[in-house]
Amino acid sequence: MSFILGTSLLAVVTALACALPGAFVVLRRNSMLVEGIAHAVLPGIVVGYAFTLDLNSPWLIVGAALAGLLVVLCNEWLIRTGLLTGDAPQGLVFPALFAAGIILITLDFNHVHLHTHVVLVGDLNLAAFHQLVVNGVSIGPRYLYVMLAVLIVNVAFIAIFYPKLKVTTFDDQFAMVLGMRTKLLNTAFMFLVSVTVVAAFHAAGALLVISLVVVPAATAHLISQRLSVMLVLTALFAVVGALAGFWIAYVLNAATSAGMAVFYGFMFVAVAFIDKLAIRVRRYRRAEAASAGRPAGNLGIEGLLAKPRYAFAAQRRQEESGRRDGSAPAADTQAAE
Amino acid sequence: MVDPIEFFGNHTFRMVFFGTTVIGLVAGALGSFAYLRKQSLISDVIAHSALPGALLAFLTAVVVLGVSGRNMLGLIVGAVTTGTLAALFANSIAARTKIRIDTAMAISLTVFFGAGMIVLRIIANGPFPGKGGIEDYLFGNASVITIADLATSTAVGALALILMLVFWKEFTLRTFDPVHSTVLGFRASVIDTLMFTTIVIAIVIGVQAVGVVLMIAVVVTPPAAARQWTSTLPGMVALSGAFGAIGSGVGAYLSIAVGNIPTGPVIVLTLFVIFLVSLLASPRRSVITTTLRRARARESLRRELLTETTDR
Repeated sequence: MSFILGTSLLAVVTALACALPGAFVVLRRNSMLVEGIAHAVLPGIVVGYAFTLDLNSPWLIVGAALAGLLVVLCNEWLIRTGLLTGDAPQGLVFPALFAAGIILITLDFNHVHLHTHVVLVGDLNLAAFHQLVVNGVSIGPRYLYVMLAVLIVNVAFIAIFYPKLKVTTFDDQFAMVLGMRTKLLNTAFMFLVSVTVVAAFHAAGALLVISLVVVPAATAHLISQRLSVMLVLTALFAVVGALAGFWIAYVLNAATSAGMAVFYGFMFVAVAFIDKLAIRVRRYRRAEAASAGRPAGNLGIEGLLAKPRYAFAAQRRQEESGRRDGSAPAADTQAAE
Repeated sequence: MVDPIEFFGNHTFRMVFFGTTVIGLVAGALGSFAYLRKQSLISDVIAHSALPGALLAFLTAVVVLGVSGRNMLGLIVGAVTTGTLAALFANSIAARTKIRIDTAMAISLTVFFGAGMIVLRIIANGPFPGKGGIEDYLFGNASVITIADLATSTAVGALALILMLVFWKEFTLRTFDPVHSTVLGFRASVIDTLMFTTIVIAIVIGVQAVGVVLMIAVVVTPPAAARQWTSTLPGMVALSGAFGAIGSGVGAYLSIAVGNIPTGPVIVLTLFVIFLVSLLASPRRSVITTTLRRARARESLRRELLTETTDR
């Protein structure tokens, strides 16, 4: 396999592995928690790297993912103490863990040589450097198969727990009434996100991996009314963004993840703009049809997708009740537990 | 180890100490308002998004104006511009689409920071004078603070604090009862813009010494710690500023005394220790006090019930 093909394939697989759980992250309002996880895994990676000397080691990935889970659990504990307000609990723990990781790196802990630039935004080309050779034939970067494994685990998790994830995401209290162990599911899901973040660290670094997780899902959320449609669109945006971002970074000679983050941003703004425009055009046509005494005709693709909207409606209801309580919208999923 | 007398005898060390103390004081005091308005995480967006602004200011100074790129005022202007743009971008996404504020913040943060990393690479690859150590904006390097830098950041920080004192009444009302403040005729948008500007200023003056990645801790941690000791706004702002100043000063001292560690991370860890002590053991509201109080209440209830039963 040629180097450029292998590396771009790696970009696509990494983007997909991050973006699919991202759909649930966005709907569960955990976006900034992923920012915390991505920072907090750093000390885990540094310590793990000192022992395994291999960023792709499964031990390192699981160990560092536990450090990421620490942020989730600490966040929940800090909220439960009732001594802190707003979104402050999310912003208290991860800087300290990240700072500890940076200090470990600069003190040359066990001779770990990680460049700070790589820590922040990763280096896809370096990650793709080690090729997997079978019978003397290169079959792509070794790291590609690590990310492929993570992608398969993510898809399997989402496929197996799809109904449960759906109901806990949209109506957590209803799920609890049904006797579901919502908290366990949430912890397991966040652990999976944490594993994905650690695995993608090599390619996207601690700071921009959140873009890979959140932005394709957010873009898909803009124009979808159903979870299944949203998941498909998320995957589509992730693939397009990965290829375009890879190309931008190649032309500008910059980090791939930086190119991807910027392109994802443009894609989000473009989709939001087109969506607004389409709504305006449709409203105008409907008004025209009404004044002409005709029934509103074809509503376009969104009209076809719009029928079963009860899932989002339930979430909107939950949001409104949260607002009535005066609690911050970002915190009320946790508060509801 | 560097002992204190030697520390304060050294010009560079003095600059580091006073520079970081000023940053901690301003960020801690103004962070209280972000904390009380339950918008602590927006400071993370502003801090990360300060990177492209600071770097573009460097490029403008070097390429267009032909002067030294390391200019504190230019850095502040550039960083305030992009930091404010990023915060407005996040808020407008949340207001105009069905995307909620946490995701909107994540989108804004990554776009601006990604752009910053691309500009950083362009600077690193190009022939720009004075580009050495430009990567210090990421994790901060307090040892490059000059007297002029200290003077600029003190002046700008003082301006932010003066704004806070002048509009104290408006800020307080808007923080605790936004509806009432609107009813009384205060323009919400004007007060919000003012309050926001002071917070952005508090964040960007720390970019050089603490770095864009960890500046959130200097804004979020001191108020969270101070809140455990006091229940009045003046007390909280003062204590939070003091915690910020002490944590930053001690952190800067430790980073130099131990040697060869970037200043930002040590400051963050020092502040985190202050926060942990406050959360666990402050006399009025803390984890330990609450646990003790609950145990005592349970014990007294048990005794009361026992006496009732024996009386009968």
